[in-house]
Amino acid sequence: MSFIELKHINKKYENAERNSVTDFTLSIEEKEFIAFVGPSGCGKSTTLRMIAGFEDITGGDLYIDGVRVNETAPRDRGIAMVFQNYALYPHMTVEKNIAYGLMNMKVPAGEIKKKVDWAVKILGLEEFRYRKPKNLSGGQRQRVALGRAIVKNQKVFLMDEPLSNLDAKLRVSMRNEISRLHRELGTTTIYVTHDQVEAMTMADRIVIMKEGVMQQVGRPMELYEHPVNKFVAGFIGSPQMNFYPVVLEDNLLKFADGSRIAMPDVMLERLGDRRGEMIMGIRGEDIKLDEQNMELYQKDRQHAVVENTEVMGNENNLYFTFGGSLTVARVSKYEISQIGDAIDFVFSPLKMHFFDKDTEESILK
Amino acid sequence: MRTKSEKRFDWILTILLLVLSVFFLFPVVWMLANSFKTDAAITADMNTIAAFIPPVPGGGFFENYISILTNTNFLRYMLNTLFYAAILILCGIVVNGLAGYALAKIRFPFRERWVLLILLLQIVPMETIITIHFLMIAKVGLLNTVIGYILPMIVNPFNIFLFRQVFISLPDDVYEAAQLDFCSPVKYFFTMVLPMSKTVVATVSVFTFLNVWNDYLWPSLVFTSSDLLTAQIGLNSITSNDNTTMGQTLAVITMVTIPVIIIYSLFSKQIVEGVTSTGSKEG
Repeated sequence: MSFIELKHINKKYENAERNSVTDFTLSIEEKEFIAFVGPSGCGKSTTLRMIAGFEDITGGDLYIDGVRVNETAPRDRGIAMVFQNYALYPHMTVEKNIAYGLMNMKVPAGEIKKKVDWAVKILGLEEFRYRKPKNLSGGQRQRVALGRAIVKNQKVFLMDEPLSNLDAKLRVSMRNEISRLHRELGTTTIYVTHDQVEAMTMADRIVIMKEGVMQQVGRPMELYEHPVNKFVAGFIGSPQMNFYPVVLEDNLLKFADGSRIAMPDVMLERLGDRRGEMIMGIRGEDIKLDEQNMELYQKDRQHAVVENTEVMGNENNLYFTFGGSLTVARVSKYEISQIGDAIDFVFSPLKMHFFDKDTEESILK
Repeated sequence: MRTKSEKRFDWILTILLLVLSVFFLFPVVWMLANSFKTDAAITADMNTIAAFIPPVPGGGFFENYISILTNTNFLRYMLNTLFYAAILILCGIVVNGLAGYALAKIRFPFRERWVLLILLLQIVPMETIITIHFLMIAKVGLLNTVIGYILPMIVNPFNIFLFRQVFISLPDDVYEAAQLDFCSPVKYFFTMVLPMSKTVVATVSVFTFLNVWNDYLWPSLVFTSSDLLTAQIGLNSITSNDNTTMGQTLAVITMVTIPVIIIYSLFSKQIVEGVTSTGSKEG
């Protein structure tokens, strides 16, 4: 049995029409860092709160370290949690906030001091240890919340969108800090976020959820390169994957605007005998404007007019309409185009994704 | 930015309020000034500006106060009242606070109806139910006891409502964090909820103190022993005594009034915050 087992977990709130979480099954190994990701209302926080014990489990079984904990009180589940709004005790100093749990656990004073010293040092909070939360910045508060979680030596860390209240720069540094802490402490961590970048950069495995249903679980690059459905493909990656309604006839891929691309045999093989209407998806970085690729796929060269550009510094995003859909191409910073420029481009045919037009499930083998 | 006309309006309003406050202060100043005088001096100064000016401090300046404190039980009555107020503040915070917490944070059937019912209780005047209180206390043999005086005064619908309104805005995740920090619900109430709601605790304490300090009817019914009487009853018995001089009467009234003024001055900010914050849902 894995360290944490969620077996067919369901959650239905009183008077709700549908389940908030449906048939959620997942095994989490010890020391693993797993991220639950999905849009608002997808059930990721509800699942985390069921693991914490703050929400009742309507159906299914939850095991932590081999023990079924469905009816166990939160304090007895061996978990520590970091909340989105920090949930610090406003009338206590940083030191007291961190020590409070240990004091209630009746840990000897000397040991509490040692642990608090260690936590404030590891989190860079030495100079703030006698301050109250209202006198700390968002990042410092989040570090106190982390400190409160790490001193208790619990089996599992649960983090509920801990960085969502921080500004972009601080979020990046806290991301690194949490990853470093996880490497150093090796505590099994479940991290909830709606930010796929956080999930991609921090997690060993990612669980993608939509409307209470797990869509896919896997390593970050596995989800990026082999999404099981259009939702996962669209959710992971920035800018979002481009989607086109297409018709595949023999080896010709026909777009809504009449454009055509000849499909290579490898892709046809992966599509088996699937032909007809489907959805094609391709990531921005797999739309090529460079000479080398242009020569390679000479016959399938396409044309468009740039409608908008986003200069990111290290790369550029070009927006144009193709195949009846707004398309974004992610190109290198050296490929400079202006709004109104006519451009030629090709798709990397081996990087295309295909989805059933009705079920939106991937149809690539 | 405020415009010129808005600033002018502020000035006019400030001056108007200052004049009004001086107008309301006159009786207090008169009382204070005359409490240091003999009856002859009070009569002589009547209808002159000297009525508002205290005598020059010297021998016999505090004569009225000293005679009241030494010749009557008034000091005892004041200390009694302070003692009752202290107990009622403590019990009131615990009982009304717990009720307010339950109504704010614990889910149970008809919770909102209960809140409404408690609010409705607030419109029932104390005088209409005081006979029932008296009969109950008499039936259980608690007349002329401190417990008999305190028991019916602990539960206060208005204080429950104040607590509830403030507790509603306390973030739930702090409770969840405390649970994971091995904090029991009772400990959470005393070590987290109350310290996080200092303003409303201060407001309720002040209101309770003023209630007890100014209460006349209930202690006059419950207490018969002079050892247990409160300041207001003491004030009445001293001032209605024919041997009490006008100066002594004013000294007693001053002693009864001053704690109220001090409490209001010290806690006016908390009272305003406490009452105004009850409409806020900001976490």
